[in-house]
Amino acid sequence: MLEIRDIKTSYGKIAALKGVSLDIHDGGLTCLLGPNGAGKTTLIWTIAGILKAQGGSMKIEGENILGLKPHQIVSKGIVTVPENRLVFPDMSVRDNLIAGAFSRRKEKGGVEGDLEDVLTRFPRLRERSEQLAGTLSGGEQQMLAVGRALMAKPKILLMDEPSTGLAPIIVEEIFEIIGGLRDEGRTIFLVEQNAHMALKYANRFYLLEQGKVTFSGEPGAVDHDEVIQRAYLGARKAS
Amino acid sequence: MLDLVQNTLDGIAAGSAYALLAIGFTLIFGVMRRLNIAFGPSIMVGIFLGAWVHVQWSAGLIEAALATFIGALLASIYIERLSFAAIRGDAALASMASSFALWMQLEQGVSLAFPGRTTAFPTLPPLPDIQIAGLFLGGDDLLVLLSAGLVLLVLHRLIYHSHFGLEMRALADSAEAAAVSRININRVAFLTFCLAALVGAVAGLLIAATDGQITPKFGLWATMKGLIAMMIGGLGSLRGALLGGLVLGIVEAQAQWYLGAAAREIVVYGLLFLCLIVLPGGIAGVRDTGAERKL
Repeated sequence: MLEIRDIKTSYGKIAALKGVSLDIHDGGLTCLLGPNGAGKTTLIWTIAGILKAQGGSMKIEGENILGLKPHQIVSKGIVTVPENRLVFPDMSVRDNLIAGAFSRRKEKGGVEGDLEDVLTRFPRLRERSEQLAGTLSGGEQQMLAVGRALMAKPKILLMDEPSTGLAPIIVEEIFEIIGGLRDEGRTIFLVEQNAHMALKYANRFYLLEQGKVTFSGEPGAVDHDEVIQRAYLGARKAS
Repeated sequence: MLDLVQNTLDGIAAGSAYALLAIGFTLIFGVMRRLNIAFGPSIMVGIFLGAWVHVQWSAGLIEAALATFIGALLASIYIERLSFAAIRGDAALASMASSFALWMQLEQGVSLAFPGRTTAFPTLPPLPDIQIAGLFLGGDDLLVLLSAGLVLLVLHRLIYHSHFGLEMRALADSAEAAAVSRININRVAFLTFCLAALVGAVAGLLIAATDGQITPKFGLWATMKGLIAMMIGGLGSLRGALLGGLVLGIVEAQAQWYLGAAAREIVVYGLLFLCLIVLPGGIAGVRDTGAERKL
C-alpha cells in the first residue's frame, strides 16, 4: 500500500536516512526495529511530512505523496501516533479526540459516531472524557493518542515507539490493543525499540541500522535472538 | 476610601482597553510562540486610516471604525507574511527582530503621510455620565467597558465553543500534536493573526475615539501597554492577559492619584519588575516548561 524508495533525510549536513526503501503491505503489522539513533523516528516524521526528504520517492496506492504538507499527508489516510504520546495536555480527552477528526468536521454525524466507537473501544477514556489529557497516566495517554489517530479514519497507522516510558504491564496492554487493531485488518506501521514484543505481533519486519535498512523478513522465519541483538546494539558490535 | 474605590473604577475602564491589547498579543504569542512587537504599530496604521477617512470625507465614527479594522487587518497581514510566515517557526528571535524593523517602517510611513503632530479622530457618541453614591463613571468609560466586555464574550464563544477555536487551542497546546492531527498550521496561524488584529483594532478604536486625536506614537504606546499587561498576567494565558490589563489599569489610576503623573510610570515598571521576580509565571501562574502551552 505504501511504497518507500530510497528516501534520504538529513539534519543540516548530518545524513539520518541514507536511502531507505521499504513496503508497508495492506492489512497487517509491519514493524521497523533498530537501535537508538538508527533513524527510526526520522523515518516516521519524514513519512508524516514534518521533515523534508532530500531524495527518493514515497507512494500510497501508486500516488506520489512526497513533499506534501503534514495535514495533506493525513488527508491521504496516513495518520501518526507520535512518540511520547503527544496529546494536547490542556484540552479535555473529548476535545483531544475531536481534534483527531479535524478535516472531517463537515460529516457531523460521522464524527459523533466515531467518537462513540473510540470511547467504547477504550472505556477508560470514556470515564475520563471531561478530564484534561495532561492528567492521564502514561498508558491512558497512549490510548488517547491511538484513539485520536483512529478518529482520522486512517488507511495506515504509523506508530512511533508506543512502549516508550511505560511500565512492562502497560506495554503488554498497549501491544494487545495494537494486536487487536491488526486483527481487525488495519494496516499498521510500528516503529519499536522493544524488539521482543514487536516480533511477537509483527507480520513482517525491517531492521534499520545507521540510516539504512539492513535486514528484513518475517518473524517466524528468522532467528529472533539475532534480530533482537542487532535491534538493540547494532550490527557493528561484536557478539 | 471613596478615592480608592473611584480610582479602581477609573482603572478598570482604562484597564479593559489594556486587556484587549494584551489579549491580542497573547493570541499571537500563544499560538505561534513568537512575539509580534509590531502589534501596536499595526493598530496605529488602522486608526490612521480611520482618521484619514474622517479628515478627508468628514466621515463619522462608523466609517472610521470600518477603516480602522481594514487598516489594522492589512498591516497585520503584511507583518504576518514578512516576519512570521516567511521565517521558520523555531527562529523566534528572527521574527521578533524582523517585526521590530516593520514597526519602524510603519511608524515612519505614517509620520510621513500625516506630517502634523496630531490628527483628529471622530469621538464616541455621548452617553450620560453615571453617578451613584458619590462614585462617578463617565459616559465614554462606560462605552469602553461595555465594548470590551462584548469583545471578550465573542472571543470566549469563538475560542471555547467553535471549531476554529479548538484548532487554535490545539496549536497553542502542542504544535507537533497539531501537525499530526491534520491541522493546517499555517492557516490557523494566519487566521489567529487576523483575529488578534481585529481585537487590537477595537482597543485602538476605543482609545482613539475617547481621546479624539491620535499620533504616530500610538504604536509604541499600545505595544508597551499590551506587553506589560501580558507579562504581568502571564505569557500565553488569555485569562492572565485579561487580569494583567485590569491590574495595570488600576495600579496606574491609583499611582496617578496618590503619587502624581510623574511617579505613575515608575510604579508601573516597579510592578512589572516585582512580578518578574516574585511571580515569573504572572498572575495566571503559567508554568514555563515549554510543554505547558496555555490558551
